[in-house]
Amino acid sequence: MSRNGKSPGGGPRNRSLRHGNGGVLPGRNRRAAAVFLLPPLLVYLATVAFPIGESLFLSFFQWDGITRMKFIGLDNYRQLLTIDSTFRSAAVHSLVYLAVNLVIQLGGALLVANALTYLRRGQDTLRVLYLLPAVLSTVAIALLFQRVYSAEPEGVINQVLGAVGLGDLSRPWLSDVHTALVAVSVPEGWRFMGLYTVILLAGLLTVPREVEEAARLDGASETRIFFQIRLPHLRPVWLTTLVMATTYGLRGFDVPYLLTNGGPGVSTELLTTYMYKTAFTSTDYGYSSAISVFIVAECVVAVGIIVALLRRRGEALL
Amino acid sequence: MNARRGLWSLAGTMACLLVAVTGCGTSAGSPAAVRGSVSGPIEPHTITWLNARPSDGPVIKAVADVAAEYGKTHPGFKLDIISTPDRPSYLQKVVTLAAARKLPEFFDVDATPFAEKLRRQNRLVDVGNLLDEFGAKHRFRPLALDYQKFDNGGVYGLPLEFAMEHFWYNKSAFAEAGIEPPRTLDEFIADCKPLRAKGYIPIALDGKDGWPLERYLAYYPFRLQGNAFVKKLKRGDAKMTDPAGKAGADFIARLGAAGCFAKGFSSAGYTDATDLFTTGRAAVINDGTWDLGLLATDTLPASLRNDVGYFKLPTAQGAATGTDDYVVSSGIGMAVNSQKFDPLVKDFLKYLVSRYPAKYAAMGQLSPTIDTPTAIPGNATPVYGQVIREAERLGTRTAKPWDTELDPTTNNVVQQNLVLLAQGNMSPEAFMKSVDQAVTTNSPRYFSK
Repeated sequence: MSRNGKSPGGGPRNRSLRHGNGGVLPGRNRRAAAVFLLPPLLVYLATVAFPIGESLFLSFFQWDGITRMKFIGLDNYRQLLTIDSTFRSAAVHSLVYLAVNLVIQLGGALLVANALTYLRRGQDTLRVLYLLPAVLSTVAIALLFQRVYSAEPEGVINQVLGAVGLGDLSRPWLSDVHTALVAVSVPEGWRFMGLYTVILLAGLLTVPREVEEAARLDGASETRIFFQIRLPHLRPVWLTTLVMATTYGLRGFDVPYLLTNGGPGVSTELLTTYMYKTAFTSTDYGYSSAISVFIVAECVVAVGIIVALLRRRGEALL
Repeated sequence: MNARRGLWSLAGTMACLLVAVTGCGTSAGSPAAVRGSVSGPIEPHTITWLNARPSDGPVIKAVADVAAEYGKTHPGFKLDIISTPDRPSYLQKVVTLAAARKLPEFFDVDATPFAEKLRRQNRLVDVGNLLDEFGAKHRFRPLALDYQKFDNGGVYGLPLEFAMEHFWYNKSAFAEAGIEPPRTLDEFIADCKPLRAKGYIPIALDGKDGWPLERYLAYYPFRLQGNAFVKKLKRGDAKMTDPAGKAGADFIARLGAAGCFAKGFSSAGYTDATDLFTTGRAAVINDGTWDLGLLATDTLPASLRNDVGYFKLPTAQGAATGTDDYVVSSGIGMAVNSQKFDPLVKDFLKYLVSRYPAKYAAMGQLSPTIDTPTAIPGNATPVYGQVIREAERLGTRTAKPWDTELDPTTNNVVQQNLVLLAQGNMSPEAFMKSVDQAVTTNSPRYFSK
């Protein structure tokens, strides 16, 4: 593929030769495609499409898993959208959680990746160090941050605040209803920032050096080079990471659940933790299925918005 | 048109598959199996026990030991023990297996509204009936059986433990603060201030799990009305705003306002709380005798070893329950699946009931049976034997934990808002209103009037 993103062979004509009815060995190609594509498609249908369909089906019922299922039409959705204040809080919390994660994971990752391109030595070591949290177990991360945020006994953050004369800001970060949501969001952001740094760094390294050098010779500042040369080149990679981080963020569950279990009150309740509790604590499978359908719809809408916002006229991004 | 027909057939297929997957039938054990009656030869095979206990704990060790003995005389028998000590994870497994009609022969369950639904579906064997038939019921401590009782008076979980919950305190901390163990719940609150003044966290509390703070909510109502209040509250026949409920809510708010709990207690887990006490930083912890190995043996730091004492649930003005009535439990019970009840399961249970208590008590534990004295471990501190002897002085009533009484959704609301109440983020009035609202909305799904 050339740098302008178009196939050197002329695109459609070349594709029809290789894959179309009149192409080389068409029968074998079809069989090969079927052999390679069918198994993952079946796995996808069984593990993703079927559970989504099942959730959609269950969401029209009231069912506790023990007694008979009772068809209640759209009642679960009606309650979800008009009555349930915990659901509304959880939906807002999920968006805040997502925003914090995107800022740390993508904003932070972009800054770090850009800084790494200027390093002549030690780039690989730093890359591994940044990536390290992504391979740590969730439970270990939760335990680590529980201690970091602690007020009694005093954790690292409060100790540092005390040491620099900002002791008045000390607080139990996970128990204060004003800070708990951001506090449970940060560990997830920190955990995957390294992963996105590596992906974005790979994208930045493909930016043609000669274009940057030419810009420098013309007197362009590094900021201008970043915004006018690097970022445009990075756009396809940026879109992929944005979709990944957004969908992961909307499905975030483990770290918040382990750190605060949705509390204090419902101040860190996310849609996912609420869905889990509704299913496995309240054993209200119908209602929790309605929440899960909402989460799927939310992810689809979010990806649609991202693609629409970043799409260039007449150009497909995904 | 074709596309529409395709969609309908897809929907039909999905519905059939779902019914197959979720198993919405009503298959249950036969009435005879529910009563514990089976006939036929004993054919050894593998049976499974899904439990919510630590895999290296004394209950599992004793049961595994009994199963190994039984296996020697019944070749082909094996007890497959699956432990999931984390309670939320365990409950997730149980409710999922219950929905799929795949519960094993034995599984752990408290006498909760969820278990009551299983009972109403004839899916639990009447363990009380079985114990009668084995001639073993009289061996069990009445309070151990009481704890397992469902609202219909039946026992559907085999008690494998017996534990009393006390307030363990640091004697030096109390002496330093110039206070004595409190006699009343009001004195308990008053003790927090002098302990704080001496640099101690007055009460170590696992706030993340919800139930430890819920115990504190239950204390005042239990002292004033016994278990009658929570039994009525859960069905909507009493209100949280009634005097007993209000006293409970006010008690939590006052404990919080007096700085009795650690800052940030809501995110502290069970180990964090016990660590605060066993390292001498907290002055009091409300804990059961299941933790005697931690609180009354030489595993304690030397400086604290002879400093740990205990006091019972303080009383209150106008109390209807005695000082020897407090939280006593026989732990989560072992339920028997009526759908998988066969002669082997019954025979093994009989053997377990006869052999288990001695093995369990030999490990320094309080057995749920009366006739099995506890072997005090060699590394125990004097308080170990002292607290074990409390079992002989217990009253006739035990405070029922609210988390096993309330319907699960209301219980979740109570636990979530209780933290806010203790932190001062919610007023007692708002808390009581939220509880009453939750009961009104949710209890009809679990309790029939």
